[in-house]
Formats: sequence, structure tokens, C-alpha cells
Amino acid sequence: MIIYLKLFLEFFHIGLFSFGGGYATLPFLYHLADVQKWYTTKQLTDMIALSSITPGPLGVNVATFAGFKTAGILGALVSTGSVILPSFILVIIISKLLEQFKHNKYVRSVIYVLKPTGCGLLAAVGVDMFINSINLFGMLLLGGLFFASMTEKRDPLFYLGVSALVGLIAGFFNLTG
Amino acid sequence: MEKTLYQIFKTFFKVGTLLLGGGYVILPLLQSELVEKRNWIDDNELCEYYALSQSIPGLIAANLSIFVGYKLRKIPGAIVAIIGIVLPAFVSIVIIARLMEEIIRLKFMQSIFWGVGIGVLILLFLAVKEMWKKSIVDKFTCWIFFITFILSAGFKAPPATIIILAIFIGIWIQYQKKIEGQE
Repeated sequence: MIIYLKLFLEFFHIGLFSFGGGYATLPFLYHLADVQKWYTTKQLTDMIALSSITPGPLGVNVATFAGFKTAGILGALVSTGSVILPSFILVIIISKLLEQFKHNKYVRSVIYVLKPTGCGLLAAVGVDMFINSINLFGMLLLGGLFFASMTEKRDPLFYLGVSALVGLIAGFFNLTG
Repeated sequence: MEKTLYQIFKTFFKVGTLLLGGGYVILPLLQSELVEKRNWIDDNELCEYYALSQSIPGLIAANLSIFVGYKLRKIPGAIVAIIGIVLPAFVSIVIIARLMEEIIRLKFMQSIFWGVGIGVLILLFLAVKEMWKKSIVDKFTCWIFFITFILSAGFKAPPATIIILAIFIGIWIQYQKKIEGQE
């Protein structure tokens, strides 16, 4: 019983205090590897790599993984639910407030500033990922995808599918290093 | 298409399945599924929700799904939306948890990770482009964009700090307008 409570508390904490999405959860998750021993640092690093081809947000992936490893399916349900719960409560409260104060000038003004801020944060994530992951062949692939996006509006699945396939082929020729 | 709870669940389940390379990709996916294919919300609302999702704690993809689900069908909508997003992640991790180390060691898997990483970059670029159209409406918002970008990418300022600053700026602008209006 105590293990479920621990899973709940740790992942609720992550859901409540991680600001800025996936990357922001990483320090918490590494810390958790140290204090709780639910998974090793090595496993977490593997998980991060693996989460690029498994569906879902990284935070959910790791929560499910840690819960499942420590306490089976029920553990996975508890940890995954807990990481989501703070989001759920907060978003519902904010949605209700927004309905009420949608036309309030201060609310409009804050949203007016938050939108370009959000855009800037997303651009920074993109540049960070670019710097950390790109090599010469990657530039070529990215250029090709960029060109494809300019000529026609395409489904996101197109880009993911093409890039996975090109990655697979490039791997055979050792171009991905 | 009708916004039944089942349809909402199905749509978010599809988005959840395609959510590769981390939660950041959710914006272009929702744009394609909800704005373009189904016309359930418009681009402007989606960008607004995205900005709000980044401004509160929690996983951005989860926050955004709950915002949109609530907008479509209140609390039941929010519940089916978040279950739809999380379920594919949950099932796939439970299935591969035991095999993780073997999968990681496969060379061709590494190549696929690498490729998907590049695909995610282009999706992020498209998301920023789309959000730019909806959020950079004048010189001032353009400044806000670049200052945020430099603080975050250049100085590694924590998102929470930047967001709190942005909220204060928003309040301050309106306060200034009010004072000027009274004079």
C-alpha cells in the first residue's frame, strides 16, 4: 500500500512543479532515480531515447515506466494518473475563470503578452534540440523536409514517417552519428 | 463532425498515438486534427490555449488536451481528451518496459530515433511559424518574442521566471492604459 502512496506523492509533485514541459521534468526524474531507486539513471536515459519513438509526452512515459517497474499495472496507473492530476485541476479552474473573465481587459492584456512569450519559448526549445542533435546529414534531411513543407501543407505524420525511414536507411550507411 | 465524447476520445487517441518525439509536437498535431480536419476550434483559440498551457505547471501536452477537451464538452470532454492522449503512451510503455534494454541496443532502432528527432525539428519549426502568425501582431509582441527567445535559449532562464515576468508586463501595460485613459 505504501508504495502506491509514494508513487502518488512523487509524481503528483512532478506534475505540480515542472514548468515548461518535457525538458523541465528531467531534473525531477533524475533526482527520483537517486532517491527512490525505482529506476536507474541509465534506464532513465534509455527511456528518454526510447520515448522519441513511443507515443506520448516524456513525463507520462517515465511515470508509466517507473510505476510499472515498481508495482505493476496498478502502480503504472497510479503514477501516470498522479502526474496528470495537477494539470487537470489547474486547467479546469483556469478554464472556468476564463469563461467568467474572458473580456476582462487585464486578462486580455496578459494573454496578449503570454502568446509571443509562448512562441519564443517554443522556438528556444527547437533551437536547443537542433544544436544537440544535428549533423551534416541531418541538415540535409532537415533541408529536404523544409522544402517539402514549403511546397504544400502536409500531415505531421508525413514528416515523422519520412524522417524515420530516412533515419533507418541512413543508419545502414553510418550517416547518423 | 459532431463533437460527441466518443469522437473527442477518438481524435485525441489518434493525436496521442502520433505524439512521437516528446509532447512539444502536440501543437501541429492538434492543428491538423482539430482545426483543419474537424473545425472544432480555430487557430487563434488553439494558440491561446497553448500559451496558457506553457504558463502553468504540468506537462504541456496534457495541459493543452485538457483545455481543448474542456472547451469542447466541459469536464467530460476534458476527461476523455486526457485519457485519449495518455492511453497510447501508457499501453506502449507497459508493453515494452521489460524489453527496453534489448530495444535500445538494436542499431536500427537508434537510427529511427535519430530520424524521428529530425522530423520533430521540422514540426517544431512549423508550430513556431503558425504560432507566430497568431501571436506576433505588432512591434511590441515581436520584442517580447525575441527577448523571451534570448532569455531562454541564450541565458537558460527558467520558463517559470520568464512567464511570471510576462504576466507582470501584461498587467502593467493594461494599468498604464487605464491611467492614460483617465487623464
